[in-house]
Amino acid sequence: MIAAAVCAIVSNVLAGPQRRLAWAGTIPPSSGTPAGRTTPAGQSAATPAPSAGETSFPPHPDKPWVEIPGDAAASLHARGDVVFLDARRTAAYREGHIARARPFSVWESDVDDKVRAFFAEGHEPSAPILVYCSGGDCEDSHILAQKLFLAGFDNVLVYKDGFPDWQKRGLSTTKGASP
Amino acid sequence: MREGPSISSLLEHPWLTVRVQLALGAIFVAAAIPKIADPPSFAHMIYNYRLVPGGVVNLAALWIPWVELLAGLALILGVWRRGAAFVVGLLLLVFIAAVGINLARGHAIDCGCFDVRDAGKTETERLADMRWVVLRDAGMLLLVGQLLFATRGGRPQPEPEAGRRQAGSPGSPDPVP
Repeated sequence: MIAAAVCAIVSNVLAGPQRRLAWAGTIPPSSGTPAGRTTPAGQSAATPAPSAGETSFPPHPDKPWVEIPGDAAASLHARGDVVFLDARRTAAYREGHIARARPFSVWESDVDDKVRAFFAEGHEPSAPILVYCSGGDCEDSHILAQKLFLAGFDNVLVYKDGFPDWQKRGLSTTKGASP
Repeated sequence: MREGPSISSLLEHPWLTVRVQLALGAIFVAAAIPKIADPPSFAHMIYNYRLVPGGVVNLAALWIPWVELLAGLALILGVWRRGAAFVVGLLLLVFIAAVGINLARGHAIDCGCFDVRDAGKTETERLADMRWVVLRDAGMLLLVGQLLFATRGGRPQPEPEAGRRQAGSPGSPDPVP
C-alpha cells in the first residue's frame, strides 16, 4: 500500500500537464446540488433557461449555469463575441472542437490556473460564456461552469447536448491544439 | 483401498494455485495499466460513481491503479502471495460494492475497469455491463478465496514439481497416507 502511494506520487510528479492530476481534487459536488455563491438579497432564485432560438442571455447571479439547447448555442457562436470553452480532455479537443473554442479540460491539473488566467484577462463578468463537453450524461461542462461561477462569472451557459450535437448540426469545427 | 482426493486437497493443489495466481495477477496488471497511463480519465470514472467526495477523487485515481499493479505483479512473481491476495480481495469487494450501489440506484456508468475512455454506450448497455461486472468480480473473489485457502498457515510456495508429486506421478512417493 505504501509502495503504491510512493509510485503514485512519483508518476504524478513526472507526468506531463495533460496526464497530471491536482493532489487535492477541486471537483465540486455532482449536478443537482451546485455549490453557489451567496445569492444577493432580493435576487430571484428562478432564472428562466433560454429557449431555443432565444438571442438574449441575461446574467444569472443566482445560479452557476443555465443549460441551453443547440439552436441557442449556434446563435451565440454566430454573434462572434461569445467565448466558447471546451471542458473535455485535451486529447478529445485536439481531435475536433467547436471553432474558436478554448481547451479547458476540468480533469487536468491546470484547469484552476486556466480559470484564474481567464479571469485575469478582464472578461466582462456578466457577458455570456458558453461551455460544453460530450453531451449525454457528461457533466464536465457543469463542473467547469461551477468553477467559472465561483471565479465571478455570472452568465455561464452550458450547451447540454455538447459537441456531438454540434457535429450533427454540421456547424463549424476545428482540429488541433489551438482554437 | 485408496481414497480419492478430498475437495480440500484439490483446492490447495499447487497446479490450481499457480494458475489462479497467474490469472488474477495478469488481470490486475492489465486493469492497472490504462489507469496509470491516463489518471485524469480514471478520476473522471471515479467521479461518475458518485461515491467518493470530490476532494478525494484525484488521490483515489492516483493510488488505486498502483495498488492493483503491485498486487498483480506480486501474484505473478509469487512474492507476498497471501498479502497480495488479501489486497486483491479487498479491491474486488470495493468494486462489487461500488458497482452494486450504482446498479441499485439505477445510475448507469462505465465501469472503468479495463478501459478509462468513455465507451459511448447507451444507458441500457451500461446497466447490462454493470451486472456482468458484479458477476465477474464475484467470480474473481472465489479465485481469491482459493488462493487464501491454499496459502493458509504459511504453506510453502507451490512448485510445479511438488504438484506432480502430489498428483501421484509414477516413481514419486505418494503424499496421501
